[in-house]
Amino acid sequence: MNITQESAFRTCSVTGLRVHLPAQKLIITNAVAAVVFLLIGGILALLIALTRWEVVQLLPADLYYRFLSVHGTVMLVFWIVFFEVAGLYFGGTVLLNARLLRPGLGWFAFVLMLAGAVMSTLVTFAGGADIMFTAYVPLKAHPLFYLGVILFAVGALLAVGLFLATVIVAKKEKRYTGSVPLVTYGLIAAAIIAVFTLVSGAIVFVPAFLWSLGIISSFDPGAYRVLFWAFGHPAQQINLSAMVAVWYALATLTTGAKPVNEKLSRFAFLLYILFINLGSVHHLMVDPALSQANRIFNTSYFFYLAVLGSLIHAYSIPAGVEVAQRAKGYAKGLFQWLVKAPWKEPGFAALAVSFVIFGFIGGTSGVIQGMQVNMIAHNTLRIPGHFHATVVGGTTLAFMGLAYYLIPLMTRRQLVGKAWASAQPYIYGVGVTMLSLGMLWSGILGVPRRTYDIAASSAGVAAPAYAGSDVTLAIMGVGAVIAVIGGAIFVGIAVLTLLTGKKMK
Amino acid sequence: MKGEKDNKFHAPGTLVLAFIFLGFFIALYFINWVMLSGTWAVR
Repeated sequence: MNITQESAFRTCSVTGLRVHLPAQKLIITNAVAAVVFLLIGGILALLIALTRWEVVQLLPADLYYRFLSVHGTVMLVFWIVFFEVAGLYFGGTVLLNARLLRPGLGWFAFVLMLAGAVMSTLVTFAGGADIMFTAYVPLKAHPLFYLGVILFAVGALLAVGLFLATVIVAKKEKRYTGSVPLVTYGLIAAAIIAVFTLVSGAIVFVPAFLWSLGIISSFDPGAYRVLFWAFGHPAQQINLSAMVAVWYALATLTTGAKPVNEKLSRFAFLLYILFINLGSVHHLMVDPALSQANRIFNTSYFFYLAVLGSLIHAYSIPAGVEVAQRAKGYAKGLFQWLVKAPWKEPGFAALAVSFVIFGFIGGTSGVIQGMQVNMIAHNTLRIPGHFHATVVGGTTLAFMGLAYYLIPLMTRRQLVGKAWASAQPYIYGVGVTMLSLGMLWSGILGVPRRTYDIAASSAGVAAPAYAGSDVTLAIMGVGAVIAVIGGAIFVGIAVLTLLTGKKMK
Repeated sequence: MKGEKDNKFHAPGTLVLAFIFLGFFIALYFINWVMLSGTWAVR
């Protein structure tokens, strides 16, 4: 098939969108890989949460730390980035009526990513990398762990490059006129942040790999930490930008919303590109490698310009929905537009729930504790409480909502279990809310993060009592169970649709 | 008339939601410090 010919495209009979067939295969493949890693990470999440819930303490200590290491990498990197690559190919081709520039390169990138992800995951499961997500040196893992992460980062970098090249060539081929759509614009912002992030990941893990092989004798921990946090936290900022782009897409798909001021929304994405990664410095607040001025400016001034970007989006998206709903006649009083919103539509439910969890729990906790409170909160459960609200309640749920449209569009199969899909965002949302609040509250009580046994029962010392944490950890544990049920419903719908969904023309 | 219509505020409900969010944030900010002062009391 000549990939530049019109025969390489099909037109969706429902949406009217033109789909580049080689891109379609890559979108499906990357999305399937993402869901598989989500499944693995979800099972581990349940086991970990039921271990941190002190009354249950399901796993032995060695398995707990091992599974926590796998869970962090699988969920924060592999699930999210595979899905983001699928989203980039979708935004760069289907939304622009364009062809994917080099599908072969896309497949090469996928193979690298998959090989790296599988290698890293298996090595950690086998006990070769019980060093947690941060993998701080001088903790040393098996060389294949580092090699796996490097392969994944290089593959993802190639995929991002392919997306950016596709957008540029689409413009030259006049596949679209004027500016790119706002959703694609947001994905471009995510891609630019991804380039910085993935290059940083390669820079930090290449010397770590050589150090693990014994080729270089030492790797300065201070240098490692600075370089790692140019990768670790910015990886979540890719999610942020992609998630906001997905929010705009879901608002348009489910209510016909348009941004109230599109230029301002684009400017908000620009603020992300310029300032969001500077917030990473809050991981280095007590690190002697950075000057005091660096730490103060990056975490107390520049970072808030990115927060301003989030506040612009936080107003723009519901305002767009309100304007669209009022135009349909739902204009009575202040909130008829909201009451009459399509709450049973999976995409809108996912948008609304992820928006509220991200804003009210993830965003507020991040802004309050990420900087000033960071000095006393960073090693408590507050921090996992924050990022489970942002990445799990926000990004993951938004991606699930998009998948309910992306899967039928790409596979030409009807969604299986629409009623379950309508309920899933609420079930998942209740679970993640309880999980996050349980963690946040435990952290406020002083409960440490990551720690297997907060009572330190085998250490022979008197540990703090953390009064009230039995209740807060129970909220966390029950929330985790509900969230995993919600996640399992999503995976079930996705797999059943792929395998048994009724074929559409 | 057209100008008058264009000047109309189109999303009053969202503005109310924004103020609810602001109130929530302010309350959370102070509750945060009160609770932290209990956990990490200076003795």
